[in-house]
Amino acid sequence: MKAQLRTRVTTGIGIFYLSSILFFLYAPILVMAAMSFNASEFYQLPFQFSTQWYERMWENEAILSAAWRSIWIAIVTTVFATALGTAASVALWRYDFPGKRILQVLLFPPIAIPWLITGTAMLIFFFGVGIGRGTPAVILGHVALALPYVIVVVTARLATFDRTLEEAARSLGARPWMVTRRVMLPWIAPGVIAGALFAFAVSFDQFVISYFLSEPGDSTLPVLIYTAIRKGFTPEINAISTIIIAVSMVVMLTAARFTKFGGEK
Amino acid sequence: MTRLLTAIAAVTLTAPALHADEIRVLNWQGYGTDLEWAVEAYEEATGNTVVHEYFNSEQETLTKMRTNIGAYDVVLINSSFTPQVVAEGLLDPIDTSKLKNFSNLDPAFVGNAGLNGEGELYGVPWAWGMTSIAVSNADFDDMPTSLSVLWDPKWEGRVSIRDDAVEAVQIGALATGQNINDVQDLEAVRSKLTDLMPSISTYWGSENDWNQNMASGSFAAATYWSGSAARSIGKGLDITFVVPDEGAIGWLDGLSVPKDSANKDAAYSFIDWMIDPEFYVGWDKEGAPGSANTAATAALPDDSFNKAILKDPTLTTKVQFMQPLADEKREEFLKLWQDLKAAQ
Amino acid sequence: MSGGINIARTDKLRAFALLSPAYLWLTLAVFLPLSAMAFFSFLTEVPFGDAEWSVTLTNYSAFFESSTFSRLLLKSVMLGVKVTALCVLIGFPCAWVLAKMIKGRAREALFLMVILPFWSNSLVRIFSWAIVLRGNGVLDKFVNAIWPWDVKVNLLFSEWAIVIGLVHSYLPYVILTSYLALQAIDDSLIEAARSLGAKWWTILWRIVLPLSAPGLLAGAVLVFVPVVGSFMEPRILGGRMGTYYGTLIEDQFVAVFNWPLGAALSFILLAVVLIILAVASPILKRAQT
Repeated sequence: MKAQLRTRVTTGIGIFYLSSILFFLYAPILVMAAMSFNASEFYQLPFQFSTQWYERMWENEAILSAAWRSIWIAIVTTVFATALGTAASVALWRYDFPGKRILQVLLFPPIAIPWLITGTAMLIFFFGVGIGRGTPAVILGHVALALPYVIVVVTARLATFDRTLEEAARSLGARPWMVTRRVMLPWIAPGVIAGALFAFAVSFDQFVISYFLSEPGDSTLPVLIYTAIRKGFTPEINAISTIIIAVSMVVMLTAARFTKFGGEK
Repeated sequence: MTRLLTAIAAVTLTAPALHADEIRVLNWQGYGTDLEWAVEAYEEATGNTVVHEYFNSEQETLTKMRTNIGAYDVVLINSSFTPQVVAEGLLDPIDTSKLKNFSNLDPAFVGNAGLNGEGELYGVPWAWGMTSIAVSNADFDDMPTSLSVLWDPKWEGRVSIRDDAVEAVQIGALATGQNINDVQDLEAVRSKLTDLMPSISTYWGSENDWNQNMASGSFAAATYWSGSAARSIGKGLDITFVVPDEGAIGWLDGLSVPKDSANKDAAYSFIDWMIDPEFYVGWDKEGAPGSANTAATAALPDDSFNKAILKDPTLTTKVQFMQPLADEKREEFLKLWQDLKAAQ
Repeated sequence: MSGGINIARTDKLRAFALLSPAYLWLTLAVFLPLSAMAFFSFLTEVPFGDAEWSVTLTNYSAFFESSTFSRLLLKSVMLGVKVTALCVLIGFPCAWVLAKMIKGRAREALFLMVILPFWSNSLVRIFSWAIVLRGNGVLDKFVNAIWPWDVKVNLLFSEWAIVIGLVHSYLPYVILTSYLALQAIDDSLIEAARSLGAKWWTILWRIVLPLSAPGLLAGAVLVFVPVVGSFMEPRILGGRMGTYYGTLIEDQFVAVFNWPLGAALSFILLAVVLIILAVASPILKRAQT
């Protein structure tokens, strides 16, 4: 009875804590959304309600097409980075071979070196070897920057996988591919999902590479924002960002309603 | 919904076809050449289409031109950077006979040392302006007349200058009574700027920062560009642009034609429209820098910001125009500026 | 024994097949371009057009000639340590609640909710923080609304603002990677320890932390490594205080055309980060056991 009460209390504290962290994570998003309904172009307080930024955004073809471009590039990037990254993680976890440490350490340069430098390097290199620029070059760069994040996250999940499970399945005569599909993939699914979510975030926020490697006129949302900043961007940017977050939330919560990927139990 | 669909269709269906009359412009975003009404009027009149690409710093212009040979037809280059681009062989000399508005350009600008090299003109003088100071009207009853307002302890914590090494040194040079293009006593500039640092709240980087900080009261007095001040005032920000007794930094932007442009005739016709008085009068309504075309300036209404600035008879003696700067100087200034920032 | 060799060979083939797509991709898009940058870092000029260049070490020796570089690098490393520590202290308990106290569908939904704010533009988020933190801003108004005495809250343009902005940007990495590891710990293990009378800190120290270490460390690395090189958040939120090592690198590319020096500074950053990780990993490993 007493233990039950204590569990209740700790769970209550836990949920309160989690809610406060979520509030912290969403604080700038709430401000961003609020400012999209604020009349002042300079994000000035006090708040005055207006829907003019939504109306203007709706008329602004440049923003709409850039937003759409950012979304589909992020989706393509997520698919490639997640597939390639998961495969590489499995190999790094399962096999021992000379040079494995080096392959793991090689994941750090793209994370450690500021994207500005990596992006400039890509521009020079792609120009030098004739890849040139355009959408394939942009995706090439986005996937490469998202890959290390996917590999690190998926590897972290794999580290908790019990090897004896795999061995047991094998000793019962399951073929390696079956073992992977039936035993390992369900186990690492939460890691793969987390990796995919990060890959999407990396691509969706990636400015330097899209900026250097896009054809003129093919802007993405971050490029639009960064180049607009010199002359000042308007809350139209807040309006489109708010819509994207709201739609993503609906899609994600629907997905969460019908699938189970947070791990068994 | 249909709008979104057309936008989507436009993105997915239009192949990047290189039409003969497509003019590719490389410029800052929102800097004249991409004004919607102006581009529409030009496209309607000529049948050419205009596509923009933007850069975020002068150094990027060079990077983009070097790595995308033939990708641009019209490029905006600040006159103090033009010699660098010319030295790399990336520009064509301007054929002035292809510009019917050329005769109206101010000879002082046409003769600008940065735009000219080896007896040839490499950039059509287009827009000019000043880097000076702007103050919040809410804080100032009497307008300051001296640059020393930035050093006034009264405004400590509400002062800002741009995060730019060259500009910082030049402001320091003005404040110490030196020639901005030939700074003899760099130590005086260093100590003057050292005194300024504690008063600074943040270094601004863009009009966006500037407007938000001024609107929220984080700034009382800050350096600013004249064209930007015109635009901020136009958007309703309560500020005044001041040219102090010590003077201001003048800059001149030119439009150049890359050597490898495939549409040079179209490029010239676009540049000609950009220096046309009709275009400038329209641009001025939305907040514009000064025009290099005297006929265009003359056509402005009397209440315009740019005309009011030019009324000051002492202006021409007060403004020091930026000259090209050697790379070594630029790096020396950066070193000084980084040391100052790092010491905070 | 010949069978053993065959298995090893098929294993090698499998490993190669799984690894090569990712690493070939990385080679083409990152390693080779960065090698070019590494090459530039040993030159006097970027070899463009007919620029004259020669091989030199001055870009690296420049780092040691002025105290500005090393001082700011130290400042950046300290920032990385602070932000990482805060992310771990805040994020790990949060992951624990998510993994062990929330059950059912709500967990999937919350898992997604943690990452969703980051499907927005970082610059827009940073500017939103500026609106919250500045004097007369959202936080100031909020505090004054619930606090009976008049206070002025102005955190903008301070180190606090930088830390808040960065912790916000990187917290999800720690929460999600810790969650991935914590969720894998069998509840019965903890129950068994508890029924044997183990105190909560013993359980935390002896069972939970060692078992969740891979996730927690992966998260910490994903925070520490990029934060050391950051310059955007520090500049916008830190104002006059916001000059860090990343700023120096950025300036070499944006303010002057000195790629060789910028590249050299980047590789020094990379080397320092790798050394810190190399030194930290055996210490952390020992602490685990």
